[in-house]
Amino acid sequence: MLQDVRFRAIIVQIALLAGIAALGFMLFTATARNLELRGIPLGFGFLWRPANFQIAETILPYSSSDPNWWAAVVGLSNSLFISVLVILLASVIGLFIGIGRLSSNPLVSGLCRVWVEVARNTPLVVLLIFNYALWWEILPLATEAWKLAPGTHISVRGLSMPALGWSTSTFAPVAFVGVSAVILAGASYAARRRQIETGSRPAYVSAAWLFVAVAAGIFLFAYRDVISLDIPEFRRANFAGGWSLTPELTTILIGLTFYTAGFIGEIVRGGILAVRKGQWEAATALGLSRGQTYRLVVVPLALRSIVPPLNSQYINVVKNSTLAIVVGYQDFMTVVSTMINKTSHAIEGVAIILGVFLAVNLALSALLNAYNRRIAIVER
Amino acid sequence: MADTASNTTARAAAPDARSLLRRLAPFFGTPLNAALTLILLWLMVRLGSLLVDWAILNAALFPAEPETCAAATGACWSFVIAKSGQILFGIFPPAERWRAGLVCILIIMTLLASARPSAWRPGLAAIWVGMMAIVLWLMGGGFGLVSVPTSSWGGLPVTLILTVFAIGLGFPAAILLALGRRSSLPVVRTLSVLFIETIRGLPLLSLLFVASILLPLFLPESLLPDKFVRALLALTIFAAAYLAEVLRGGLQAIPGGQSEAAEALGLNYWSTQRLIILPQAIRIVIPALTNTIIVMIKNTSLVLVVGLFDLISSGKAALSDPAWPAPSTETFLFIGLIYFALAFSFARFADFLERSGAEKRG
Repeated sequence: MLQDVRFRAIIVQIALLAGIAALGFMLFTATARNLELRGIPLGFGFLWRPANFQIAETILPYSSSDPNWWAAVVGLSNSLFISVLVILLASVIGLFIGIGRLSSNPLVSGLCRVWVEVARNTPLVVLLIFNYALWWEILPLATEAWKLAPGTHISVRGLSMPALGWSTSTFAPVAFVGVSAVILAGASYAARRRQIETGSRPAYVSAAWLFVAVAAGIFLFAYRDVISLDIPEFRRANFAGGWSLTPELTTILIGLTFYTAGFIGEIVRGGILAVRKGQWEAATALGLSRGQTYRLVVVPLALRSIVPPLNSQYINVVKNSTLAIVVGYQDFMTVVSTMINKTSHAIEGVAIILGVFLAVNLALSALLNAYNRRIAIVER
Repeated sequence: MADTASNTTARAAAPDARSLLRRLAPFFGTPLNAALTLILLWLMVRLGSLLVDWAILNAALFPAEPETCAAATGACWSFVIAKSGQILFGIFPPAERWRAGLVCILIIMTLLASARPSAWRPGLAAIWVGMMAIVLWLMGGGFGLVSVPTSSWGGLPVTLILTVFAIGLGFPAAILLALGRRSSLPVVRTLSVLFIETIRGLPLLSLLFVASILLPLFLPESLLPDKFVRALLALTIFAAAYLAEVLRGGLQAIPGGQSEAAEALGLNYWSTQRLIILPQAIRIVIPALTNTIIVMIKNTSLVLVVGLFDLISSGKAALSDPAWPAPSTETFLFIGLIYFALAFSFARFADFLERSGAEKRG
C-alpha cells in the first residue's frame, strides 16, 4: 500500500497538517502559561479606554483623551497620507527620471543615472537618518527662514506654506467636484459609444471640459467671499497659520520620494525601451508628430510592461512608510507600538498591525490589478 | 589679400570647429537641451562649490582630535577617522577587533565567489556551511578564542552576518516553498502560497516586531533565543519568502519535457528535482538572486529598530561621546557610503554576470 502514490500523498498531507496543529498547540499552551505568569489579560477591551499619549502631527482631529482605537485610526491616516503623497510625487518625478535616463544629453542622462544608483544602492533607513541629520545641520533658525516662494518658508522648525481656506460648509465644493466628474465621465462614455457606432469621435469631451471650466469660474465668483488664502505669518518664534509640515514629516516625504522615484525611473526606462523600434518607425511613416507618437503609440505600449512592476512598487511605498519610526514621525506602526508599551497588550497590538497591513496591501493590489487588466493586451 | 588670408585660416580651422560642434550637439542641439544643460551646469557649479568648500577645503582631518574640528568651519572628518573602529565594529572588544575584521573579509569573499555561475556546484553548499561555522567561531569565540556574547557584536560584521545567514538559511527553505507552491498536493500548495503571500504582504518591520515582542510570549523561557537570533529568524523567514518567488520564476522557465524525460528514466520526484530541475532553475535566476542579496544587505539596516547594534546604531553610539561635537551628517554619510559600496559593487557584478552569460548563450 505504501507504493501507491495517491495513498502516500494523502498520508504526507495529513502528517503535515498534524505537525502544524501540534506546533500551534505547543505555542498556544506556552503563550497561555506566559500570560498567566505575567498576569496579562487577553482581550480587545483596551481599545475603548483613553489613549493618554500625544500624537504630534495628525491629519484627523485627535486629543490624548480619545480612545485607543481612534489613536490607531489617526496613526493609519498618517501612514496613508505619507503613502499617497509619496506615490503621487514619486510617479511624476520617476517619469521624468526614466525619460531623462534615455536623453541624448549626456549631462541629463548622467545625473538621472546618479539619482537612480544612489536610490537603489542605499538603505532607506540610512537615507532617512541622513536626511534628518542634514535637516538640522543646514537649515536656518525660524527667524532667518529661507523663502522658497511667496508665503512659503523653510527653517529648522519645518516647512510652512499658504493654504486655501473655506469658511462655510464644505458641501458645495465637494458636490461641485462630484458633479463635474460625472459630467466628464458621461461625455467620455457617450463619445466612445458614438465612435463605435459611427467610426468618428465627436468632441463631447472637449465640450464637457469647456463647460466645467466655465462653471468653475462662475462657482468661484459666486463663493468669492468665503474663499480665503491663509498665508503663514511670522509670530514670535515660528510661523503660524497656513499649512505647515514638521521636520519629521518633510524628511520622510523627501527621503521616501527620492528613494521611490529612483526605482520608478528604472521601471519607466525599461518600459520605454521595451517598445520596439518598428512601432516608432510605423508611427513616423503614418505622419504622426513626436508628441502624437508618444501619446498614441509609445505610452500605451510602454504602460503594459510598466504597470505590473509599478504596482508592486506602490505596495512597497506603503510598506516602506513604516520606516517613519526611525525619525520619530508617528505613523500607524509607531502609534500602535506606543499603545503596546502603555497597555502591554502585545499580542492584540501586533495582531492589529499585521491585520491592517495585510488588508491595506490586499485592497491596494486588487485595485491595481483591476487597472492592469484594463490596459493589458486583450487576446481574442 | 587680407580676405583670402582669413578665408584660408577659416578653412583650416573648419574641421576643428566642426568636430567641436559635433561634440557639443548633444548638449546644445535643441533649445530644450541647451536650456537643460545651462540650468544643470549652473546648479552643479553652485552646489558643487558649496560641497567642495564643506567636504574638502574647510574640512577638519588630521590630527584626529576634537580641537581640529572645533577650529574648522567645514566637515568634521577627524571624528569619522578617530571613531572609525567603533563605527565599523560597534562595542566588540577592541583587542579582538581583528576577528570581526576577518569575518567581514571572509563573508565578502564568499559572496563574490559564489556569485559566479561556474561556482554553482553541489560543493558550494559545503563551502557556505564551512564559512558560516568559521564566522560563528571567530565572532562568538571558544576553542582558544575569548568568548564574546552576541550582545557585544556590532557594526559591519552584524550587517554582513545577518545578510549571509538570512540568505544561507533561507535558501533551503525557499527551495521547499517554491517546490511546494508548484506541488500537486493541495494541502502543501495552499500552505506554501499562504506562507509566501502573507510574508510578502507585510512590512519587514512588522515581522521584526513579532520576533522581538511576541516570541518572548509565545515560547517557554527555556527555549527563547536571544535578541540577535530572534532578529535573524525574522530576516530568514522574510528572505525565504522572497527567494521562493525568485526560484519559482526559474522553475516556471523549465520546459515540462525535462521532468517527463526524468520520469521516463525512472527517477522519482526528489531525484528529478535535485538532479534535473533545480540545477537548471537556479542557474536561470542567478542575476535575480544577486539582486535579492542587495535587498537583504539594505534590509538588515532595519534591525536598529529592535535594538541590535548594526552600523547605524554603532554610529549613533559613537556620536554620543561628549568630548566631540556630534557631526552626525558626516557619520551617516560615511555609513551610507559603506552600504553604497557594498550594494553598488554587487549590482555591477550582477550586471557583468548577466551580460557575460548572455554573450555565451548568444
